[in-house]
Amino acid sequence: MSTNLAAAVAAPNRKRPAALWNGGALPAPAEEPKRTHLEVVPTRSQRRARPRALYAAISVGTLLAIVVAQLLLSIGISQGAYQLNSLQAQQTQLQRSYQAVSEDLNRVSSPQNLAANANALGMVSNSSPAYLRLSDGAVLGAPLPANGAAGTVTGTLGNLVPNALLAGVPLVTQTQQQAAAAAAAAAAAKAAQTGNSASAGAASAPTTAPTVPLQGALPTPVTH
Amino acid sequence: MVAKKMLRRRTAVTVLAVAATVAILGAKLVDIQVVRADDLQRQSVKAKEVSSPLLGNRGDIVDADGTVMATTIYTYTAAASPSDAIAGGRDKMVEAAAKIGAITGQGGDAVVALLDGALKDNPKSKYVLIKSGMDVAAFDKLDKLPYPWLTFTKKQARSYPNGAIAGSLLGFLSEGGKAGLEESENGCLAGVDGEETYQRGADGVAIPGSTVVQKQAKDGGTLKLTLDGDLQWFSEQTLAQQVSATGSKFGFVTVAEAKTGKIKAIAQWPPLDPNNIAASDPSDWGLKPFTTPYEPGSTFKALTAAMLVDQGKASPTSQVLAPYSWQSGNGADLHDSGYHAPLRLTLTGVLMMSSNTGMSQLGRALPDQTRYDYLQKFGIGEPSGLPYPGQSDGLLNPVKDWDDQTKYATMFGQGVSATQLQMVDAYQALANGGTRIPLSIVEGCEHPDGSVTDIPSGKPTQVVSATAAGTTLGMMESIVTSGELKKQLQIPGYRIAAKTGTAQQPDGKGGYLPSYYVSVMGVAPVDDPQYVVSVNLGYPTTITSSAAAAPLFHTIMSQVLKTYRVKPSTSSPADYPPYY
Repeated sequence: MSTNLAAAVAAPNRKRPAALWNGGALPAPAEEPKRTHLEVVPTRSQRRARPRALYAAISVGTLLAIVVAQLLLSIGISQGAYQLNSLQAQQTQLQRSYQAVSEDLNRVSSPQNLAANANALGMVSNSSPAYLRLSDGAVLGAPLPANGAAGTVTGTLGNLVPNALLAGVPLVTQTQQQAAAAAAAAAAAKAAQTGNSASAGAASAPTTAPTVPLQGALPTPVTH
Repeated sequence: MVAKKMLRRRTAVTVLAVAATVAILGAKLVDIQVVRADDLQRQSVKAKEVSSPLLGNRGDIVDADGTVMATTIYTYTAAASPSDAIAGGRDKMVEAAAKIGAITGQGGDAVVALLDGALKDNPKSKYVLIKSGMDVAAFDKLDKLPYPWLTFTKKQARSYPNGAIAGSLLGFLSEGGKAGLEESENGCLAGVDGEETYQRGADGVAIPGSTVVQKQAKDGGTLKLTLDGDLQWFSEQTLAQQVSATGSKFGFVTVAEAKTGKIKAIAQWPPLDPNNIAASDPSDWGLKPFTTPYEPGSTFKALTAAMLVDQGKASPTSQVLAPYSWQSGNGADLHDSGYHAPLRLTLTGVLMMSSNTGMSQLGRALPDQTRYDYLQKFGIGEPSGLPYPGQSDGLLNPVKDWDDQTKYATMFGQGVSATQLQMVDAYQALANGGTRIPLSIVEGCEHPDGSVTDIPSGKPTQVVSATAAGTTLGMMESIVTSGELKKQLQIPGYRIAAKTGTAQQPDGKGGYLPSYYVSVMGVAPVDDPQYVVSVNLGYPTTITSSAAAAPLFHTIMSQVLKTYRVKPSTSSPADYPPYY
């Protein structure tokens, strides 16, 4: 019986490829010793509780990150405070230079300065206005040529409207040396009579020919 | 037994000692944390906290085009600590002083003298003022010097970039006081300082997040004037020339827009440069066209003529025989300024020849009270309503106080006084179809939040009819077309109405001064009046009549017409006959 059975087993064994048996029958003897390592199957809640270490790591890591972030943040803020400080100092500086240049601008754009410069450049005004009406080409008013002697912008007496701020401001026609000389003269005059002769001194300062000589006509762009 | 007792006692002592310690510490804790908490907290903050003011800027004053006439700048004051300066040795101090003096312009010796002076008084001196009122450039240079004993403070100051242009109108703001618009419009201009506090660390840097604005600073508003800065300069410049040419004591020029009453220029000689008030006499600081009334003289005749025409009591051709001297019959004795044979004048001719006797005879047709009422409506003796401190209302006595002489004198501008402004206002009514609009100098005050206040609310008054006003201007035109000063007054292309005045001024003792207050007031162009110009010279010496003021009137009027591109007249003059 047993030989029969063995033959019966052996016969198909020879006939069929061994590979078929590898999966089912052959591992069976290997399972026998493993049965000694029994384990309790964890319940669902146990399984859930298992990655505790991971959680701990995450929370400690987060905590650490927060601490580091806060540290960096406060370093950043105090760095910012210094930056703010230096920028504010820079802003103050810029405001000061803005003030200085706008004071200068206001001073040189005062009518006294403009008139004195116009005078120095030999400009005259025309006190007899005339208009050309475009609709019919009529001339309104009486056109008269500007009178050089009577028409100077400030007259023969120079600037008579004092401006203490203009002391030492040179005319466009003055060179650096002349301006310095005029300023010195103005300062001397001021010291001498404490009157407000500073601007008058500047106005009557020696003048030279305009730096840009007039070529007979106003410069105009050439277009084609 | 004994051992047990000892143990119990020890335990009790220990417990008691511990309890006592805890009680003491607890009490201290409560004391620090609760009882004195606020106080300590304050002390701690105080040790670190710094308070710094937030400066509220005073607003600018700008002209009608926005050109800055007055602005706020910062000036710097340098101070030194003499005891620290000398600490490094005298040689070093002298060297430092030389550098400082070169920048401040005082010179090194002066700075050394300041330091030495302070050290002499007190060898431990910690403060001496080196220089105040420095500009930014000087401060920047000083700040770069490596002297920790040199300290700076910043201060707001006022700057007037245009100098004396409209100086008397703007007034000034100094430690000594305020004047002009700086005073009267202080409510608009003044800023309110704020305060901020912050805590700072040992190195002086602010602790982040500790800045607390205790009070916001508020900037002042921008005061916009009706003035034209360039025209104002031109008026002052030409006025100064004419004053010097005629040897006058003073002079005024006012230009006003006929249709709105806006003052475009108001010049005065002697001028005031608010940057340097010490250069002018304190009696010249005020704007006299506002503050000082004068007997206007013959320019007043235009008003009397307008009343007569308005009431239908006279026309441009009403006839009168005007002798040199005339007695009213009830006590008044009047005469003209220069001797002449009796003239056969019309009302136009009375204005043209400026005849006092002629005006008195024609003016008699109106009751005194009627004339008084008209004058009031013209604004004579009435407050101007302009925001300028110390204004005068002039003097127009009630009719019951008029004696016989005054009754007639008021017809030609004596026995009554008015400021130049009031006269301009009256002429503005003639130029504006008989409707007087109160003059204005301020267009408004623009606050930093954009709101605008202080807009003048000019309530117009119909003084005379439009026809009467137009007729009066037509009569005044004869002064320019055929009067004595026609050559000086005419501007080619424009119809101009003007009236001259040569008024004696009371000497304060019941009589009159020998010199005159001369004026020319006029309106142009007559066919569409746009501008009123008034020119006054006080006590000229080279020419004593209104001929002294006429060239200036011409210069200013032509500048006004040019500046505002006023179209030349297209109609011909009214041409009323001056004689019959």
